[in-house]
Amino acid sequence: MEDQILALTAELAAVKSAAQVTNTMFAEAYYYLTIPLMVIIHAGFLLYEMGQTRVKNVLSSGIKNLLAFAFTIITFYLFGWWFYWALPTFPYDLAAGAGYMEISGIAYASAIALPWGDSAQYMGPNMGDHSSGVFWGAFALFAATTASIASGALIERIQTVGFVICAIVLGSFAWVVAAAWAWHADGWLVTEFGFHDFGAAGLVHAVAGFFALGVLVNLGPRIGKFNADGSANKIAGHNLPLTITGLMLIIVGFFGFLMACIILPGEGWSWYGDAGTTIYGTPMTLSALAFNICLAASGGIIGAWVFTKDPFWMMSGCLAGIISTASGLDIYFGSHVIIISIVAGMLIKPCADWLEGLGIDDAVGAVTVHGTIGVFGVIMLGVFGSGTPALGAYAPEGVATVNLFGQIVGAGVMFLLGFVPGYIVSWILNKAGMLRIPDAVQIQGLDAVKVPAQAYPESMVSDESDSK
Amino acid sequence: MGYFAESFTDLYADGAWIDMGMYIGSGSSMPGWFTVIASVMLVAILVKGNNDEQDHYK
Repeated sequence: MEDQILALTAELAAVKSAAQVTNTMFAEAYYYLTIPLMVIIHAGFLLYEMGQTRVKNVLSSGIKNLLAFAFTIITFYLFGWWFYWALPTFPYDLAAGAGYMEISGIAYASAIALPWGDSAQYMGPNMGDHSSGVFWGAFALFAATTASIASGALIERIQTVGFVICAIVLGSFAWVVAAAWAWHADGWLVTEFGFHDFGAAGLVHAVAGFFALGVLVNLGPRIGKFNADGSANKIAGHNLPLTITGLMLIIVGFFGFLMACIILPGEGWSWYGDAGTTIYGTPMTLSALAFNICLAASGGIIGAWVFTKDPFWMMSGCLAGIISTASGLDIYFGSHVIIISIVAGMLIKPCADWLEGLGIDDAVGAVTVHGTIGVFGVIMLGVFGSGTPALGAYAPEGVATVNLFGQIVGAGVMFLLGFVPGYIVSWILNKAGMLRIPDAVQIQGLDAVKVPAQAYPESMVSDESDSK
Repeated sequence: MGYFAESFTDLYADGAWIDMGMYIGSGSSMPGWFTVIASVMLVAILVKGNNDEQDHYK
C-alpha cells in the first residue's frame, strides 16, 4: 500500500511537472506571438504615413518611420527597460526605492534590466528564464508604437536625425516613465490615485499625441499649409487607399498590442494560478477583449462617418473608438463600449479642425486621435468605472480604487509627460538647426534632395516638385 | 570571449545546460563591453547621419 502511494505521488509530481512545462511554454509563446502582431502596427504606420505624404516626399517619410522603429527598439534595450522598473515609486519616493510588490526601484531595475554585469543574464539567452525576453519584446514594440504615433504628425518638414532623437526621447523615456507610474503594480498613480489604464489610452496614446503637439509648436507647419490670413489649405496625401489600408493594419496590430497587456496565470510572475489579470492584477479574460475591441472599432467608424463621410476620418475613427475605450476594455460592457466609441468617432474631426484653427499643422490628426481621445478615454473610465479595484491580490491596505479624480490627475500627468519632453527636445533641436528642413528643400521635395531612389520611377510625379 | 563552457561533457553531465545564461560572454565582463561598443556605434551613426543630412541641405 505504502509503495503504491509513493508511486502515485511520484506519478502525480511528474504530471504536475509536465503541466507546468506546458504552461510555461504556452505563456512564452503567447507573448512571443504578440510581437509580430505588433510589428503589423508598424507596417500600418508605414503605409499610413507614406500614403498621407505627397509624391515628392514619400520615401523620406518611409525612412523616417523605419528609423523610428529601429532606434527606439535598440535604445529601449540599452536604457528604456531600466527606466520602467526603476521609476514606479519616483518621485513619491525620491530615492526610487522598491514598492510594496518589491518588483521596482533602482536596485531591482539594476539587477534585471541592464545589458551588462550580473543583470545581463536577464537580457540575453537564458535557459532558466522564459519570460524576460518576451516581456521585453512586447514592451519594446509598445515603445516603437509610441514613437510611430508621433511620427505621422511631423511628416514632410522634420529632419531625419532630429526626428530620430525625438523618437528616442519619446519611445525610450517619456512613455516609459508614464508606464512606470501608471502601468505597474508599484506605480504611484495606481497605488495613490487608483489610476487604471488597461490598454494604455493615456500612457501610450495620450503621451505620444501630446509629445507630437510639443514638437509641432517648435517645428511649424508645412510650406503652403496656411495662408497669410491664417486660413488653412488641405494638403492631400498622394495615396488615400494606402493610408486607409495602413490604418486597417494598425487595427489588426492593436489586437496583438492589447492581448500583450494581459498577465497569464500559473507562472511564478503571475498574480493567480487560475485566472488571467491586467497588469494591475485585477482579473480579466481575453473574451472581454474580443467583445470590446471589435465593438469599439466599429463604433468609432460609425461615429466618424456621421459627420465626415470621409474614409480617412472613418478609419481614424476606428482607431479613436479603440483608444477611447482602451482604459477599461477589461471591464466595460459591450453596449457601453458602443456608446463611448461612437462619441469618440464624432469628436475627432471637430477637434482636429479646432487644432488646425490654432495654426497647428498635424498632418495625420495624431494629436487629436491619440492625444485628445486618449485623455477622453482615461477620463471616461473615471466617470463610469469609479469604485473598481485598482489592484488585485496582494494589494496593500487602503489602496485607492478607480475614481474620477484619480483618472483626471492621471490624464493631466499623461499630457505633461508627452507635451513637456516633446517641447523641450524639439526646442533644443531647433536651436541646433536639427529640427526643420529648409523651406527651399521642402518646395523641391525631400526625396530628390536626400534619397537615392524614387518611389514611382516610371509613373507618378508631384506637380510641385522639381524632381521630375 | 567565446562560448561560456569549455567542456561540453561537463555541461551535459551535470545538467548545467539547463537554467543558465547561455550567450557568448556569459559570466564575464564581455556583455558590458559589447554594450559599450554598440552604444558608441549608435551615437557615431547619429552624428554621421546628421552631418550627411546637413550637407544635403546646403
